[in-house]
Amino acid sequence: MEEGKKVGYNIDDILREMRDEYWQGLETVEEALEEQLECVTFTLGGETYAFETVHAAEVLRIPRLVKVPKVQELIVGVFNLRGEIVAAMDIRSLLGLPQLPFGPSGRIIVVKGEKFHTGLLVESVKGVTALPLDTFEVAVKSLSGAQRDYLRGQLQLPDGLVILLDIKRLLAAPEIVVDNG
Amino acid sequence: MSSKYLDIFLREAEEHLTSLQQGLLRLEKEPANKVLIHELLRNAHTLKGSARMLGFEGVSNVAHRLEDLLKEIEDGEREVDERGVDILLRGSDAMARLVGALAKGEAPPFAVEDFLAALDRGDVPEIVAPEPVGRDEEGLGDTVRARVRTLDSLVNLLGELIINKKRLEARVTSLKSLVRGSEPPSLRELGQFQRELEDDVLYLDYLIQELHGEAMELRMLPLRTITDGFQRLVRDLAREQGKEVELVMEGDGIELDRVLLESLKPMFLHMLTNAVDHGIELPDERKAKGKPAKATIRISARHEGDSVQILVRDDGRGMDPARIKQAALRRGVIDKEEAELLRDEEALYLTLRPGFSTSEIVTDVSGRGVGLDVVQKNLERVKGTLSLRSEVGVCTEISLQLPLSLSVVEALLVACGGECYAVPASYVLETIKIRSEDIITTGGKEVVSLRGVTVPLVSLASLFGLPGQKELLETGKVTAVVLRLREQLLACTVDRHLGSGEVVVKQLGAQLKRVTFVFGATILGDGNPALILNVPDLFAHAEGGATTGFRRAFAEHEAARVRGRILVVDDSITTRTMERSILVSHGYQVEVAVSGEDALEKVAGFQFDLVVSDVEMPGINGFELTRQLRGLDAYREIPIIIVSSLSRDEHKRQALDAGAQAYIVKGSFDQGTLLDTVETLIG
Repeated sequence: MEEGKKVGYNIDDILREMRDEYWQGLETVEEALEEQLECVTFTLGGETYAFETVHAAEVLRIPRLVKVPKVQELIVGVFNLRGEIVAAMDIRSLLGLPQLPFGPSGRIIVVKGEKFHTGLLVESVKGVTALPLDTFEVAVKSLSGAQRDYLRGQLQLPDGLVILLDIKRLLAAPEIVVDNG
Repeated sequence: MSSKYLDIFLREAEEHLTSLQQGLLRLEKEPANKVLIHELLRNAHTLKGSARMLGFEGVSNVAHRLEDLLKEIEDGEREVDERGVDILLRGSDAMARLVGALAKGEAPPFAVEDFLAALDRGDVPEIVAPEPVGRDEEGLGDTVRARVRTLDSLVNLLGELIINKKRLEARVTSLKSLVRGSEPPSLRELGQFQRELEDDVLYLDYLIQELHGEAMELRMLPLRTITDGFQRLVRDLAREQGKEVELVMEGDGIELDRVLLESLKPMFLHMLTNAVDHGIELPDERKAKGKPAKATIRISARHEGDSVQILVRDDGRGMDPARIKQAALRRGVIDKEEAELLRDEEALYLTLRPGFSTSEIVTDVSGRGVGLDVVQKNLERVKGTLSLRSEVGVCTEISLQLPLSLSVVEALLVACGGECYAVPASYVLETIKIRSEDIITTGGKEVVSLRGVTVPLVSLASLFGLPGQKELLETGKVTAVVLRLREQLLACTVDRHLGSGEVVVKQLGAQLKRVTFVFGATILGDGNPALILNVPDLFAHAEGGATTGFRRAFAEHEAARVRGRILVVDDSITTRTMERSILVSHGYQVEVAVSGEDALEKVAGFQFDLVVSDVEMPGINGFELTRQLRGLDAYREIPIIIVSSLSRDEHKRQALDAGAQAYIVKGSFDQGTLLDTVETLIG
C-alpha cells in the first residue's frame, strides 16, 4: 500500500474503478438483451436508412461546401465545423442509389470515425428511434458486392422498410479516403 | 485494466526508455561515469516497479535483468565493453517493443522467454522481428507537454479577456442610457463614447494576438524530439557495414511546429541512411586518402530570420558533378547541349530530378542522391527548400530551409471557378493582366512574355476541372498570378485576386490525407473554408498541359462579334459607304438601305442587332423610321443610332422621343464617335 502511494497509484482507487467498470459492463449486456437498437434514421435515394446513434455526433443543415480538386466524386466538398475542416460525402453512388439534388430538407449527419469526423449528406433526417431487432433480416443476396459491403441488413417495420447501414465498415473503407500520395 | 492507468504507465515507460537508450549510448563513450550508471539503474528499477504494479510481466522481467547487469557494472564486477552495451541496448529495445505492443493492445511481438534465456546465457539476444527504426512511426502523439509559464500566461490572458468583456458590457449600458436619454446625445458625448470603444477594441485585438501567439507556441517542439533516436540509428548502420561514424548534433534545441517535425523525421532517416550507406568510405579507404578513419556526420540547426536552416554534412566521398552529368546523359534526363551548359554546382541538382535517382547506374557511379527527389518532394509539402553542396572526396552538404511554423502563412487570395483559394505568398511573384494578343502558342502550349522572359500559362480552373472563365473573355483581359518555384516561373489564370493577408493554416484531417494541389485549408471571414494551394503540385501538373485555351476562346469570341449585324440607312452613297467601311473593318457585318421604306423591307426579312439611320431622306424620314421600328416586336429593344447634319437640340429631342438611343451630328462625325457609340450599345 505505502509503496503504491509513493509511485502515484492507489490500489483502492484502481479496485473501485475496476468494480464500476464491471457493473457497467453487466448493464450493457442487459440492454442488448432487449433486442433494440437505438438508431438515427434518414433518407437516401428516397429509401429509409439507419445506423446506430452512438456513431452520430450531430445533424446540421447543409452549409456551403467548398469543392476539392481531383478527388473521388463522393467527396462533395469540405465545410467548417467549428474551426475544423470536415469532408462531406454523398454515399449514394457507393450504394447504387439515384443522386437527386439535396433540397431544403437535406442535412449533414456528422459521424465520428476512429480516425476522423466526416459529414454524411442525406436527403432528410427522420429522427432517432429504438428499432426492434426481431424483424431484422440480413442484407439481400440480390445486391451487388459493393452495396452489400456497406449494408448490414433490413428491418420490416409497420411504417415501412428500414435499411441498416454498416457505418463502421463504411468509415473504414479506403474508397472514402483521399490519398493522392 | 483501466485505460487511465495504462496511459500513465505508457507515458512513464516512454520517458524512461528514452533516457535509457541515450544513457547507454553515452555509457559507451564514458564507461567510468558513475552518475550516469546510477541514473540508468534508476530508470531500469522504476520501469520494473511500474510494470510489475500493473502486471506487465514481460517488461518487468526484462527490466529486472537490465537492473542486475547495471548493478554489476556499478559495483565494478563487470566491465563496460561494446558487447555489454549491445546487450543492454537490446534489452531496452525489447522493452520498447513490449511497451509498444501494450499501447496497441497487442500480444508481445516476440518470445520473451527465449529472449530472457539468451540474456541469462550472456548472449546478445535477438529480437525475432527486429524493431523498425523510430519508435513512434505514427507521429508525435496526441499529448503536449507545456511549460507552466505558458499555461499561466494563457490563464492570465483569458482573465484579461473576461475583464475586457465586462468593459464592453459597460459600454453597452452607457450607449443605452445615451439612446434612452430625454435629449438626443451631443456630438461631444458620442465622440467620447467612440474613443472609449476604440480603446477597448484595440486592447481586445492585442489580447487576441497574444493568446494566439501563446497557443501557437504550444505546438512547437524541440528538434531533439525527433533526432533522439538518430545516434542509435547511425551507430547500428555503421556497425553493420564495418564503418566508423560519429554523429554530431548541434542546435537540436531549436523549436519547430510539430507538424513540421513529423514530416522531417523520414527525411532525416533517409539522408542519414544515404550518408552511411553510400557517402562514407570504409576505414581503410579513408586512411589511404589521409582522412581520419572515423567519419563524422554533422546535423546542425540554426535560426535564420523567419526560418530554420538545417545542415546535414558528411565528410565522405562527396558527389562528383562530372559523373552525375554522364549518368544523367545516359538516362536521358538531359541532352548533350544542356549538359555542356550546366555548371558543376547545378549538376548536383540533377539528382533531384525524378527518374534520375531511380537509376541503378547512378547509385553505383555517384553513390549519392538516391531518393533525394523524394526528400525534396516531402520538403516542398511543408514549404521548405533544399540545396546541395559537395566537394569531391571531401564532403557532401544537404541544407534544408524550413519555415518556423506552418500555422500562419502570408497568402494571396484568388477567386476561381466560384471558389476562393489561398496561394502562399512566398511563391507569388506578382499578379498581371493578360490580353489575348500577349498569349503566344508554342508547340501546342501557351506562354506569355514577362519582361522578356517566357512564362508558361495555365488556367487554374482547367487544372482543377472547374467551369471556365467566360465572362472574363468579354473584357479581353484575364488576371494571372505569376508563381515562382526555385528558378521556374508559371502564370496561372484566375477569375480575380482578392488581396493578401495572413491566414491560419488548418490540416484537412485524416480523411483527406493527401490531396493533389491542396496543402491545407483556412477559414475566411465569412466562416467558409478556403483551400490553400500546394504550389509545387501546380508546377508538376502544368507540365502535363492544361492550356487555358484562351487564344482559341478569344478567337471564337471575336468570331461571335462578327455576327453583330448592323443596318445602315442613308440616301447618300458617300455616307452609306463610309459608315459601312468603318463598321466592316471593325468586324461588324453591315447591310445598307437607301431609304426608310427600303429599311423597313430589309428588317422584315432579317434580325439586325443595331440600326444606324440618317434623318432626312426621301419618303419617311429617320424619326418616322425609328417610330415604326419601335412598333415592331422584333425591333422594340434594338438600339438605333441617328446620324444627321441637323444639329439643333430640338432635333435631338425628337430623335430620342421617337425611341433612338443615340444622336450623332454629322459635323462632328468621325470614325471614333460612331464606333464608340456602336461599341457601347452592342459591344
